[in-house]
Amino acid sequence: MKPAPFDYVRPDTIEEACAVLAEAGGGAQVLAGGQTLMPLLALRMSQPFIMVDINRIAVLKGIVTGPEGTRIGPMTRQNEVIADAALARALPMLVTAARHVGHHQTRNRGTIGGSIALGEPAAEMPAAAVALGASVTLRSVRGSRTIKAEDMYLGPYATVLEPDELLTEISYPAWPVDSITIFREIAQRPGDFALVGLVGTVVVENGRIARAGLAWFGMGPTPIRARQAEAALLGQDIARLDGRGLAELAVADTAPFDDHHASAEYRRTVGRRIFARTLTEALNVRQAG
Amino acid sequence: MNETTPIAAGRFIGQRMPRKEDPRLLTGRGTFVDDISFPGMLHVAFVRSPIARGKITGIDLSVARGMPGVHAVYTAADLAKIKVTPLSFFLTPSEVEVPLLATDHVAYAGDPVVLIVADDRYLAEDAASVVTVDYEEEDPVVSLADARNGALVHPGTESNVSAAMGLDEDEDGEALLAGAAHLINRTVIHQRISQSPMETRGIVVSKQGAGELLVHITCQSPHMIARYLTIALGMPEYSIRVLAKDVGGSFGLKNTPWREELAVIAAALLLGRPLKWIEDRLENLISANQAREQEMTMRVGFDGQGKLLAARGEYSSNNGAYPQGADANVAVHMFMWAAYKIPYYSFYTQGWYSNTVGLAAYRGPWALESLIREAMLDIAARQLGIDPVEIRRRNLVTLADQPTATTMGIPLEDITPAECLEKLLTVLDIDAFRREQAAARQEGRHLGLGIATYIEPTGSAGSMPVMTGELAQLRVEPTGKVTATMSTHSQGHGTQTTMAQVIADRLGVPYEDVTVFEGDSAHGGFGPGAAGSRQGVIGGGASLKAAGLLQQKVKTLAAHLLNANVEDVSLEGGVIHVAGSPEMTRSLRQIAEIAYGEPARLPPGFEAGLEAQYRYTPPPMTFTSAAHGCIVEVDIETGFVKILRWISSEDCGNVINPAVVEGQIAGGLAQAIGMVLLEEAGYDARGNPIAVTFKDYLLPAISDVPDFEYVHASTPSQSEGGFRGVGEGGAIIGPPTLFNAIADALSPFGEVPLTLPLTPTRLLEVIEGRSMTSVAHAPAPVAPVVTEVAPAPVAAPAPPAAPARVDGLWKMVMASPMGGQEMKGRLATEGTTLTGTLLSDQGNQDFAGSIEGNRLKWEMKVTKPVSLTLKYDLVVEGDSISGKVKMGMFGTAKLTGERLE
Repeated sequence: MKPAPFDYVRPDTIEEACAVLAEAGGGAQVLAGGQTLMPLLALRMSQPFIMVDINRIAVLKGIVTGPEGTRIGPMTRQNEVIADAALARALPMLVTAARHVGHHQTRNRGTIGGSIALGEPAAEMPAAAVALGASVTLRSVRGSRTIKAEDMYLGPYATVLEPDELLTEISYPAWPVDSITIFREIAQRPGDFALVGLVGTVVVENGRIARAGLAWFGMGPTPIRARQAEAALLGQDIARLDGRGLAELAVADTAPFDDHHASAEYRRTVGRRIFARTLTEALNVRQAG
Repeated sequence: MNETTPIAAGRFIGQRMPRKEDPRLLTGRGTFVDDISFPGMLHVAFVRSPIARGKITGIDLSVARGMPGVHAVYTAADLAKIKVTPLSFFLTPSEVEVPLLATDHVAYAGDPVVLIVADDRYLAEDAASVVTVDYEEEDPVVSLADARNGALVHPGTESNVSAAMGLDEDEDGEALLAGAAHLINRTVIHQRISQSPMETRGIVVSKQGAGELLVHITCQSPHMIARYLTIALGMPEYSIRVLAKDVGGSFGLKNTPWREELAVIAAALLLGRPLKWIEDRLENLISANQAREQEMTMRVGFDGQGKLLAARGEYSSNNGAYPQGADANVAVHMFMWAAYKIPYYSFYTQGWYSNTVGLAAYRGPWALESLIREAMLDIAARQLGIDPVEIRRRNLVTLADQPTATTMGIPLEDITPAECLEKLLTVLDIDAFRREQAAARQEGRHLGLGIATYIEPTGSAGSMPVMTGELAQLRVEPTGKVTATMSTHSQGHGTQTTMAQVIADRLGVPYEDVTVFEGDSAHGGFGPGAAGSRQGVIGGGASLKAAGLLQQKVKTLAAHLLNANVEDVSLEGGVIHVAGSPEMTRSLRQIAEIAYGEPARLPPGFEAGLEAQYRYTPPPMTFTSAAHGCIVEVDIETGFVKILRWISSEDCGNVINPAVVEGQIAGGLAQAIGMVLLEEAGYDARGNPIAVTFKDYLLPAISDVPDFEYVHASTPSQSEGGFRGVGEGGAIIGPPTLFNAIADALSPFGEVPLTLPLTPTRLLEVIEGRSMTSVAHAPAPVAPVVTEVAPAPVAAPAPPAAPARVDGLWKMVMASPMGGQEMKGRLATEGTTLTGTLLSDQGNQDFAGSIEGNRLKWEMKVTKPVSLTLKYDLVVEGDSISGKVKMGMFGTAKLTGERLE
């Protein structure tokens, strides 16, 4: 560990943290779980002037589940998300997705807010927030604003978060307790970022799809909501789903890229396949149960 | 041949003894180079080139020099005050000058330009960040195709070929291939690999007064590094001591120091303060030398029954700008068909310079031979409709065929790949698998079985200057405990355990009583270290020999003290017994105390103390053989590979510790899995590295590596103790085994390209039968250098119109394994008799031969670099001379020249 020099503050309140961020004028870096930040600091790929450690801000931690939905503090550790029994009933998809974030050891420190704020396009938590229709609350000395998660991401590691803003809450709308989880991640090793990832929740009423939230990760510069597929699914009889047709619609919204791990065409092809299979299997399981 | 002592599984040899290193290493008490610290020690960071190629037009050091805590900021010009000559592993200077820091131009992204010394690493990196270097960027030479067609990497060289050997055209071979019933032609493209040791490179240098240089360095042998530095520095005024107690893996990278370590030594000598440099992972993945990046085209001819007739291989490697050995990897060809009965093999092999970081060794540096050969045998089997096992049975050299020699002249006496294969088949039921495979395909599941066989030269000694024997120095201390100082060195090999087992076994003392010390050039004696799977074979033999001598000494003294016959005295479990006289039982300590402390009681002429040493030199090569089998399932939806089963059937002779042997095989196989499926340290078109952290450089994780099954087929070798080396085998035989399994699984779809790594994209292309690769991802395979050539009529050379004038002085250049060798030759003829003298740096040598028309032939024996008979076959035309020189196992080299007088 040999980062470039920085000042370090550890505020106890959101207000103090926002004041420091405002004063720093873009030179600050928020430290949450540090699982991405620490290696970047050690290699000097990240060189903030001031480090704002928010680990002591108590109100940023915790999970509150209620009839209106679920609110999660951004400093909540990923393993706390996995271990929360009420959350597992309210948003089982979120818990399933959280199990794929990094490794057990990194999830002990890594936070849900850190993952959402970083904006890695192939990460699980941003896509899960988009699929579930979550909102994020951003605070600064200028005030507070709440935006939809899907409006947060501009590109790889680029978000609408202003340099003086702090993510203070993630708010997930309520989903029926018997919602069906859609999750499939294609990664070269467990814990790696996805080559192709699909996450979603589907509500079935009387054999027909009543509500659907679906998003891709690793399929473009940001998490990508599968809007066309969501719209096409509404009202469909789950016994007569056209998996292939829906898959075409689902990948139509994506913009995958080439890198040395996989080509864009690979991501599109496998995306189509896993969409059709994951959706059908999830719905079949429900029919069988 | 050395006198050998047969050995069976003994008290400790052959047992799964717990490793002596483990309590220290597993509780974090190891001593690695970063654990070393000296009072007044300063820290080093480098400023590195962000571009692959360009001229340095300006360096501004003023801000860095003025920073508090910064002690020195050095450029190449500063370090030039200390003359350092980087050397190859064979201690020869490089073909091109290797600067410690870039001088007027940079040759790869990561090229060190400025060296900063500061109070700590933080400050050193702070200062590095404010150094400004101006570059005039140039188009880099990145790929092999660039190297063939692009600008010179090193101005002043004739071409970007760093080394070449063999025949670029081979009429005899073409004729044989043209006559074959089946001809298979494939190209393999092997990606670049980062050795990725857990402990990155690092060095701590401390000048101990005016006369001693103390170097802690993570390495493969402190003795080797001390020898290297003594020559590279050429400073007789310094005695050099090198220490490396624990090393966190090396795999070939740390065979010798390279630019950064040598620059730190030069800086420490200039500044007179202890210096530490620990490479971080970013530096390691960008600027530590790498491995592989090879392309090879092979054509193999078979007869109608699938028997090998002839083969021709053309090989190129991208050696980078400053390779640790600028060679053309002739070992690939030496071992290409070594285990197979093939009447003819010829090759052309080239290494190329490029604007990339240089190549170094990696576990099984010649492993490409097994990959291309075993993959092509399976392809041939499929094409000919023969079972993959059967095609190997028809071609492998069996024990019954030996002694024999390979096509390239390597003697074979006891290789057992065919026998390993039969042993493998006793645990791998191929018929049952084929039924399972057929049933699975009905369900849309695609299983595949891969088989590969190979041999590997291990325990090399005596044929090349640095490949020496190994030394064991043993003593029974006055306490009765046993201390060994060895020339061996562990980077995770567990030699403190295996050598202790051998010593305890042969000497007759408890395993717990033996302590092995290594890792200090001041103790023990020279050994090249963990290079070429040699330490178990040679260190084990030295331990046996020395322990035998020491036991004899103990017995002699005990017999004298107890008034017994030596033949009646035995040493077991650290206790001395006299046959038939239990009252004379003595502890080793009782005898040892007398040996050291009571000289008056010793027999006449008996040297006081209980000490013995032996430097053991084994036969030049000890072969290890193996056959592996692997079963995979390929998910045809995603192109992902799951390894279901992997069986190793290896013959590494007598096994010292099965757990250590299996650990070596498993480690090599894990690296093989990484090479076939995951790892890639390449460059983009501008020469920017594409994988600079472990987020992008994918090493196999525990989830990617199956539980391996092991069959030990232990045929004792000819070396002392019957051991054979096992360090590299997994990384050599693993890639073809896994490749063949994947190819078998996907055979209903098409042929899997021999292009590594087999990413999910590449496999889905086979499954889909269409291209899914982007331009950025995979360069199109370069067309084979030699296209199919119509068989040329083999005719005797046309007789010259007039007798050529041969007599006189000729200048000749031969493309040899060590680069182009220049020599002069004075030739004289009388009738059909040719006499002459070759004049070279190594001295003059006379020869005699024959002349027929304008064709000259003679033979010469040389001893350097190895013992060889060179067969010259040259033609004189006017004032030029050309032809070939057969160099035994090194193949054939081209020779060209012209008349001087």
